[in-house]
Amino acid sequence: MTRTRRRAWAGRVFVAPNLAALAVFMLFPLGFSLYMSFQRWDLFTPAKFVGLANFRTLFTADPLFLIALRNTVVFTVGTIVPTVLISLVVAALLNRKLMGIGFFRAVIFVPLAVSSVVMAVVWQFVFNVDDGLLNTMLGWIGLGPVPWLVEPGWAMVSLCMVSVWRSVPFATVVLLAAMQGVPETLYEAAKIDGASEWRRFVSITVPLIRGALSFVVIISIINAFQAFDLVYVLTGGNGGPETGTYVLGIMLFQHAFAFLDFGYASALAWVMFAILLVLTVLQLRFARRVSLEN
Amino acid sequence: MSGLTERVIKVNVVRAAALYAALIVVAWCALFPMLWALSGSLKKEAGVSEPTLLPAHPQWFNYGLVFALMPFWRMLLNTMLYAGCVTVGQVFFCSLAGYAFARLPFRGRDTLFLLYLATLMVPLTVTVIPQFILMRTFGWTDTPWAMIIPGLFGSAFGTYLMRQFFLTLPTDLEEAAILDGCSPWQVYWRIMLPHTKPAVMVLAVLTWVNVWNDFLWPLVMIQRKDIATLTLGLVWLQGQYVSRWPVLMAASILILLPLLGVYAFAQRAFLRGITVTGFGGR
Repeated sequence: MTRTRRRAWAGRVFVAPNLAALAVFMLFPLGFSLYMSFQRWDLFTPAKFVGLANFRTLFTADPLFLIALRNTVVFTVGTIVPTVLISLVVAALLNRKLMGIGFFRAVIFVPLAVSSVVMAVVWQFVFNVDDGLLNTMLGWIGLGPVPWLVEPGWAMVSLCMVSVWRSVPFATVVLLAAMQGVPETLYEAAKIDGASEWRRFVSITVPLIRGALSFVVIISIINAFQAFDLVYVLTGGNGGPETGTYVLGIMLFQHAFAFLDFGYASALAWVMFAILLVLTVLQLRFARRVSLEN
Repeated sequence: MSGLTERVIKVNVVRAAALYAALIVVAWCALFPMLWALSGSLKKEAGVSEPTLLPAHPQWFNYGLVFALMPFWRMLLNTMLYAGCVTVGQVFFCSLAGYAFARLPFRGRDTLFLLYLATLMVPLTVTVIPQFILMRTFGWTDTPWAMIIPGLFGSAFGTYLMRQFFLTLPTDLEEAAILDGCSPWQVYWRIMLPHTKPAVMVLAVLTWVNVWNDFLWPLVMIQRKDIATLTLGLVWLQGQYVSRWPVLMAASILILLPLLGVYAFAQRAFLRGITVTGFGGR
């Protein structure tokens, strides 16, 4: 009896510092952020309760919110669709038993360790319009210089390209691990039945790694939706050119840390959180329904 | 018969060649920005756009220029200090709490753990503003404390990771020790912790890489050069020396190298961690 009590006390003590940190740096901020979203506050004048005014402004009176939302959706879709398609192919490729495959895996996963900031600076160099590597290479096959980071539409394309380059290794790691869990005997059986390689991939591999696919999609949505580092460094911090890469992450940063409009920025943060929650739940529902139907 | 074998071998050789070609293309796509950066860091400013990978006369002084233009070593030291402190703290406090959540039952424990799980859903977007205000209230903005304290005492993510791992360990490991009269602390410190090396490695590597690459937090917290991190230093350099590619690329390579070292050294733990947690996908 005393031993059980002693262990219970030890449990509380072991959790205490961790729980304290969680309360101070996570739970309190969460509540405080919700509180702030109903205030008008700029740090220097006292906070003033404004009810739902911040949310009303966001949805009805701020044209930049709609632009940011649209850009974020374009960016998210433009990142996730190519990422999933490319990483499926790359993971299937890396799932072969070939000599030196370990080396190729190690090389292809290197971008995972590199910070977005460093990569954004390096890609700026690649995208350089007058004499960057990409335009030079396009020149070889007779294509005119592309205004990569200069023209708003192309800036979004550039952003998606870098983002895909960064997310493919991540998605590939997860999908490859799932593919390695598919029992070999299934493939053997299908082979005997005369199924082609493509057919085996579509009918065995893809359905069996559906859980991993859904995981990749959710994590990628969450990350792309809040993208900040990459955008900030790649296109100069203002979401430019014009509003070409003005995404929600940039909008939040500007309102919070440039305009010090903490109430409005917090309202925006909660809208983003709500959208993310809805997307995640929808995705989980959808994934479950698909798996029930099969 | 031998004709058939020959044909089979031929088909296999062609297939293998095609696979290797595909692998080389993918590997090239993964590496070319870094190789191009390395190449650019060794060129003269005037000839930086020449599409040659290996410059005839490598300009090593570009690296010297980096050390002259930014306090690189100071920033390296700062980054290592922040990453080191946070990593040690995370590993210790998360494994401690994770052990309790896995093995030391107390009233309300499982409800509390649900709370931990729920906070995993909260995005950085929501917490960064109040955390900033908190740091201002404590008077920690523009001090190293802002970089260390918030991560030092553990996180829901790390606790969850460690708990899951402790649950996989067999109970008879500790039962003998408990019968021998070891206190819960002794059981944790002497018996359980040594068995969690794989999970500790995963958490340590993920934390280290995460702190090293962090940008938003140092950006809002730090203005002083002498306590800045490397990523911050790179962005300042980029703002000051727009389009001076050789020196910017040299700085990028210098910041990249230590992490490539960590990657080479702890690749298994790093990739395992990403597979399990989905941590690296940003």
